[in-house]
Amino acid sequence: MLQAHSFLWHFLWVAPNVLLILLGVLMWRRNLQRQFPAFVAFAFLGAAEQLVLYAADLAPWVAAESFWRILWVCLLVEVVLKLSVIAEIFSHLCGSYSSIARLGKNVIRGVGVVLVFVAVGAASFAQRDNPYWLISGEHLLEQTIYLIESGVLLSIFLFAAYFHLAWSTKVFGISLGLAISACVHLATWAVMANDGLREQRNLLDFLNMATYQICVLLWLYYLLGPEKAPRASVVRLPEHNLEVLNHELERLIHQ
Amino acid sequence: MNLAIVLVTAAVLALSIILRLAVTRSLQARERTGLAATATIQAIDIEAFRNLINPAEDDYLRRRLPPAQFRVVRRERLRAMAAYVQVAARNALVLVSVGEIALVSDDPRIAGAAQRVVNDALLLRRNTTVALARIYLALAWPNSDFAAVRVVDRYEQLSGTAMLLGRLQNPAVPVRLSALQ
Repeated sequence: MLQAHSFLWHFLWVAPNVLLILLGVLMWRRNLQRQFPAFVAFAFLGAAEQLVLYAADLAPWVAAESFWRILWVCLLVEVVLKLSVIAEIFSHLCGSYSSIARLGKNVIRGVGVVLVFVAVGAASFAQRDNPYWLISGEHLLEQTIYLIESGVLLSIFLFAAYFHLAWSTKVFGISLGLAISACVHLATWAVMANDGLREQRNLLDFLNMATYQICVLLWLYYLLGPEKAPRASVVRLPEHNLEVLNHELERLIHQ
Repeated sequence: MNLAIVLVTAAVLALSIILRLAVTRSLQARERTGLAATATIQAIDIEAFRNLINPAEDDYLRRRLPPAQFRVVRRERLRAMAAYVQVAARNALVLVSVGEIALVSDDPRIAGAAQRVVNDALLLRRNTTVALARIYLALAWPNSDFAAVRVVDRYEQLSGTAMLLGRLQNPAVPVRLSALQ
């Protein structure tokens, strides 16, 4: 069952991408492409490229070398799409907080630059898992991309938590799905790119595909569900604390 | 393979942190109003804080005390400063939560005031972070100069905007933040 070209393998490769295209269509119909243009583009193009790869894997007339070249192109397109989605997440999260938007941008940029150096360092020290550069290079590129992606997403989550920033349900769902996918893929590609678990590669592939399936379901849940907004009418600060604060405030006003 | 172990550990750690933050966020979203209601705003004696960060006071102590004793006194003053700044930082977070709930108000004046409270509170939070970093650095080098005036100024500004929000939400009770409801 956990073998390439088994029913589960076909299902896990095709189903999440069909669902992702469906999500893109539904988002378009709800006019959400105006709010999340990068994510909608990611949904359509990311899923389309995976389906192209699936077809290339099955088609007997596509040579192995051609498959790897197609994979390289798809990966590079995916990098651009994911970076756009991360930028979109950040602009939604910090856009309404003018006082820390610039700080946030600088923090994320700084983290990004550090992560690029770390990822390049990790790639240069990695043990090549395949004599063909086209294959080992692709594995290293996957490791590099997911290292940067998971690091940047982690820093966005930490930044938001530190400042108690309010996530909208949709932005939170996109970020959570992307972050889970990035962390799991980082772990699996790190093992593969460093020549680990050579006999159990299938299991790592299945782990990647199953994680992606879960992330797509998360995106469906968060992006098509209703936005949960806090109610404005039920907040009451404790009276005794406010008395103290009022005293301080009045003293400040009159000094 | 060692590198793979390091990267897998990093990935697991990152995933755990993200999932923990996600669960916390979900609980907060569900109980945001409850959290804001139970959060406490602690009073800060601004005057005492101003005295603590006044460079003239430090100069006076530096002139009057032997160097070793000055360092001891200076460290005590810095620890007291840190305690004040931490309280201001916590108050800022409480006001961020309160402001965010008020942001969804139908009244544009209340929403506008809430936006100002949130922005001022976030700026204060940022300044307190920088101030704390400088205080801890100064603890290592007590002879260095330090000024946290921006924290005080920001705290006063935040107090003003928070009060305006309270007044807008309940005009019947002027100049009372407790009108937030």
